[in-house]
Amino acid sequence: MSDVVEKTLTALPGLFDSQTGAAKITNRLRQLIKSITELTSKHEEENLIKKELSAMKEQVSSPNTTMKQMREIMVRAMYCEMLGYDASFTYIHAIKLAQQGAVLEKRVGYLAVSLFLNEGHELLLLLVNTVLKDLQSTNLIEACMALTVVAQVFPKDMIPAVLPLVEDKLSHPKEIIRRKAVLALYKFYLIAPNQVQHIHAKFRKALCDKDPGVMTSSLHIYLQLIRESPDGYKDLTGSFVTILKQVVGGKLPVDFNYHNVPAPWLQIQLLRILSLLGKEDQSTSELMYEVLDESLRRAEMNHNITYAILYECVKAVYTIHPKAELLEKAARCIGNFVLSPKINLKYLGLKALTYVVQHDAKLALQHQMTIIECLDHSDFTIKRETLELLFRITNAQNVTVIVEKMLDFLRGCNDDHTIIHLVGKVAELAEKYPFN
Amino acid sequence: MAPERLLWISCQRTDLPAAISPIPGSVAPLFLITMIKFLLMVNKQGQTRLSKYYEQVELGKRTALEADVVRGCLARRKEECSFVEYKDYKLVYRQYAALFIVVGITENENELSIFELVHNFVEVLDKYFSRVSELDVSLSKNTHYTNKVHIILDEMILNGHIVETNKNRILAPLLALDKMTES
Repeated sequence: MSDVVEKTLTALPGLFDSQTGAAKITNRLRQLIKSITELTSKHEEENLIKKELSAMKEQVSSPNTTMKQMREIMVRAMYCEMLGYDASFTYIHAIKLAQQGAVLEKRVGYLAVSLFLNEGHELLLLLVNTVLKDLQSTNLIEACMALTVVAQVFPKDMIPAVLPLVEDKLSHPKEIIRRKAVLALYKFYLIAPNQVQHIHAKFRKALCDKDPGVMTSSLHIYLQLIRESPDGYKDLTGSFVTILKQVVGGKLPVDFNYHNVPAPWLQIQLLRILSLLGKEDQSTSELMYEVLDESLRRAEMNHNITYAILYECVKAVYTIHPKAELLEKAARCIGNFVLSPKINLKYLGLKALTYVVQHDAKLALQHQMTIIECLDHSDFTIKRETLELLFRITNAQNVTVIVEKMLDFLRGCNDDHTIIHLVGKVAELAEKYPFN
Repeated sequence: MAPERLLWISCQRTDLPAAISPIPGSVAPLFLITMIKFLLMVNKQGQTRLSKYYEQVELGKRTALEADVVRGCLARRKEECSFVEYKDYKLVYRQYAALFIVVGITENENELSIFELVHNFVEVLDKYFSRVSELDVSLSKNTHYTNKVHIILDEMILNGHIVETNKNRILAPLLALDKMTES
């Protein structure tokens, strides 16, 4: 692990700062970045960029500019926009690059479009034909690019034009195409839900896809659908439980592991889905107790990512219909977090406590010494999270003390948002407990 | 205090979990949105090296946001946690030598999982670029590193959601693209 970190540390700065080693490659972008880095004032930066932009304006209008050169110009345009300078005269050329360029130019064109344009931009209509063509390309790379850009930015009104092609891709032999098609349909669902009403059956097929990547991509759609109406999907609980069991049990290919933990972000996604399904529903919750217990046990390894999974597990245990043994284990877990010397874990523990106190006020009582210590912690983030926790355990007995602590914090606070947020809380408490 | 801000305060309820955080000025989301708002790579001098926004932020407002965000992260000490409360959402940051990677996330997102996602991203970059540096220089002659980083990121995060974390699968399209460009 330390070998990777060492290699990365030496590699990363070289990617972006031209002062370090990797500058065997000289190109206009590097020169531009170098010049910007060497400048000292915003004014100088403005002048340099303005010059660069006018040079680019000339180049894009010239008929002699090749697609390769256009690609290079596009990279500089993206850089200028990243610094906050408008390069909108290049937008149309980005689309042309995606349309006419060879495969790398095409990718850069699509990338530029995804960075420059957003929903509702009129130029997006011009992208539709290019996307349609690439979706039908026999070259898989081009089809992938088209699917990616469709999922990133696509005009809502033109969805019907491209929907049949995307739907078709759901049964493509290559997993990457199926996976990207599902994600494109997820985007369509978010921006125009009625356009994809009729294909819910196809999402089910994706969920049961033999490839874990395709199954994972369908979870994004399901999480959204279940959030909106959990009752319609209770019948899938068994499937989600089985999938989580298989993941936790190490049934996925080894390259799905991250530091020996099997597909951790997938586990988190599944835990969130299960929470939503088991909430206020005893019979559905009973289906998941076993796998939650297993997840709580498996995540005993000493790594940040297992702690992240544990956190979701604990939240799930407290959200669904209660089971004594699980709650006990989860409470112990929170205790370990809160008492941990590792500051990130302490934060997570406080956050978990804040979530859990609505269900179990005793837990906060158990850790009150630690909570009081955290109130005076030097780390602002920890202090703030502790106040959030205190706000939730306020009652008639401790309200005076808690409000005093909040006012103390406010006195030392400079951030507008925090001030407004806390003053609001104090006001609420004052309303709730008028005699103190 | 301006009247619209007071309205925001009175809308806050205690019976809801810490997740809900109405963003003043925007349409309140019907359901709790959990997402990544942006990802930035910034150096210690505060110069942005890469920015990816998964939520609409006006071009003119971005540099100010980025400067503010990096200021917040630079002010943190080593022994403090890697999460900062910022406006009505959160920042997760991780430092790699001279580079900060900062991710803006909604309140209800799992901070530690994003913290590790950043590391996964760095490991993927390492996997790809250490392979590249072994190749012939002429091959990498017109390689635009920034593009490649964007392309890799596009495979991992889409619309603010984590869509792929398997390193081989993340790199497959880019490696295929490289191969095609070679020939």
